[in-house]
Amino acid sequence: MEGRPTDDAELFARAQRGETAAYEEIVQRYQQMAFRTAYVITGSAADAEDATQEAFVKAYRALASFRAGAEPRPWLLRIVANEARNRVRSSGRRQQVELRLAGSYRPGGAAPSPEAAAVAAEDSRRLLGLVNQLSEEDRLVIACRYFLELTGDETAATLGIPEGTVKSRLSRALSRLRARVEEASIA
Amino acid sequence: MPELIEVEQHLDRLELDWPATPDLRHAVRLRIGVRRRPWFESRWAVAAAAAILVLAALAAYTPSREAIAGWINLHTFFRTVPHLATPTPLPPGPLGQRLGLGRQSTLAQARAAVTWPLLVPTSLGQPDEVYVGPAPDAPSGGEVTLVYAARQGIPAAGETGVGVLITEARGAINSEFFGKIIGPGTTIEPVTVAGSSGYWISGAPHDVVFVDSSGGVRFETLRLATNTLLVNVGGTVVRIEGNLTRAQALEIAASLA
Repeated sequence: MEGRPTDDAELFARAQRGETAAYEEIVQRYQQMAFRTAYVITGSAADAEDATQEAFVKAYRALASFRAGAEPRPWLLRIVANEARNRVRSSGRRQQVELRLAGSYRPGGAAPSPEAAAVAAEDSRRLLGLVNQLSEEDRLVIACRYFLELTGDETAATLGIPEGTVKSRLSRALSRLRARVEEASIA
Repeated sequence: MPELIEVEQHLDRLELDWPATPDLRHAVRLRIGVRRRPWFESRWAVAAAAAILVLAALAAYTPSREAIAGWINLHTFFRTVPHLATPTPLPPGPLGQRLGLGRQSTLAQARAAVTWPLLVPTSLGQPDEVYVGPAPDAPSGGEVTLVYAARQGIPAAGETGVGVLITEARGAINSEFFGKIIGPGTTIEPVTVAGSSGYWISGAPHDVVFVDSSGGVRFETLRLATNTLLVNVGGTVVRIEGNLTRAQALEIAASLA
């Protein structure tokens, strides 16, 4: 992932001293994570871009509140997610984000046979379809954990919930996903 | 389907097709350049300073220079533009998106988003694209841009491929509209369109001026930077840009409704 704590500390310190070049590097380093997070929340690439841009501007103005040595990702994610949620609220609409597969999936072991790869790709497509059918709350927590690959505290910052709640919410979401997988398998 | 026990592992291995991440560095840099400032450095003060610059430019380039100079009893300075930079090549995408006009919208959504009656030129008809920006809480109350693709009689502007851009904002002069620096070969002519006053600016492309983080004035070619008609129609400042003749621009302005 993008996190490089040592460099981050120096970058943030320089940005706090007013070096816009340092802040540009922070934007470059975290814009993908921020944009994808905003996309998952808003369901629209255009809204996600607006929200991410606005979030980076607000984060810059709030740099003084960033504690030296702290992890920047949760701090940034909280601002990005707030901005994305505000955007959804103010527009009065939320587009259902349609997560799509890039390819099949990352094989865990040795290279699969073509037949196995095809089965895995179909399974992936169906599994993602079931994730898309979950409630927003379930889908968001699964997206944070598995697709955005956020840690517990980063997910908590993104969702605006205590870290302890992340675990229980993820557990419930996975249970409901498993139930759907089971139904789909039986059907 | 994957076995139940494999669901989490399977989720872990899914590769999603994310939309391309936009490079926000430039946009963020422009915006953080205008940091929060004391009142004398506020956006309004910057806008006023930009307006003074333009008035100074008008004073220098129009027959009414003495009259305009008399309005401003302040120290001003001229910044001449010795040459205009060639705009950097633009990435592919919707015409307006390339120009950083804000969020793409529809005409109906734009009408709902702003507080003033949006003007559309009947001579051009429905725009090909509509954008709303900057944020609605901006001092101007937002800004709407209508994008028209090139058409017969109106060639595309070289830098952008757009035929005509019509940008509207309510109320006060701000640096977005008037922060233009007049380069060599550019002329400004006061005009009246259906009782509304304005200016026809023709000639060399214009730069847009903004204030960087150090408070210095910087220049960048951001939009069409072609012949431009500025007109105030009932409190709405309308900017019409394009490879237009004066007559074409006046006709478009006269058909705003």
